[in-house]
Amino acid sequence: MTHDIGCLRAIETFYAYLDGELEDSDSIAEFEHHLEHCRSCYSRIDMEKMLNQRIRKSAQHDSPEELRNRVAELMKKF
Amino acid sequence: MADQATKAFFGDGIERHLDALYSVAIHLTRSNADAEDLVAEAVAKAWAAIDTLNDQARFRPWIFRILHNTFVSDYRKKSVRPLEASIDSNDNAEDDLANLLGEQSDDFLVWWSNPEREFFNNLLGQTLMDALDDIPDAFSTVIVLVNVEGFTYDETAEVLGIAPGTVRSRMKRGRTMLQKALWHQRPGLQEGIEHDA
Repeated sequence: MTHDIGCLRAIETFYAYLDGELEDSDSIAEFEHHLEHCRSCYSRIDMEKMLNQRIRKSAQHDSPEELRNRVAELMKKF
Repeated sequence: MADQATKAFFGDGIERHLDALYSVAIHLTRSNADAEDLVAEAVAKAWAAIDTLNDQARFRPWIFRILHNTFVSDYRKKSVRPLEASIDSNDNAEDDLANLLGEQSDDFLVWWSNPEREFFNNLLGQTLMDALDDIPDAFSTVIVLVNVEGFTYDETAEVLGIAPGTVRSRMKRGRTMLQKALWHQRPGLQEGIEHDA
């Protein structure tokens, strides 16, 4: 039976969990068990995921055609 | 002298990562024109240093490290981003999140522990980018590399030339700073509500 790690330990694990840096399966299971039983941490992690999505959407840019052409010209000289 | 296979590999790698290189360059320089110059310069430097790429599987962190180093050596002086004073001392400080949160005001903690879904739903992309720009480069760049470009902590450490533990520490501190910057922007949010169709 998985024991509850409590909010303080869960908070320490938030970003490692979200960023896929929590590697050992016991730590992942403990963290997810806590999320299942703690409305506050579940809500917090849900918001962190949403914030991640928004950051990703806002900070990704397509390279402009000018840059693509410039790099292509550069490559011809290599 | 590099052979045709190396040239083809390099060209494919640049093509595959050009959007990401440009996105990170915009974050670093905060200027579309400077970002284009930075990427072009980094590509030229990378080709000149192609012999230093010992493992082709490491192309992505290798090219981003060259981009970052080029920014630091040639562009940072022009940058208007917040100075990085005291970053190293912050990295060495007790960095667990509970302690970081303990440094924050009660109002912020109430908001942090009980986030408003509507606030995040309605957050304008520009408001978010402004908040990201408000925090020091050393922290926001880690957030961009990890959360936007999907680098692992180890890869991010390789790109920035810092220890993986420092990446972990900067993620925690940076995300707390970002949320605090967003929290400070809440009163003016009414003007920035994004209405999704």
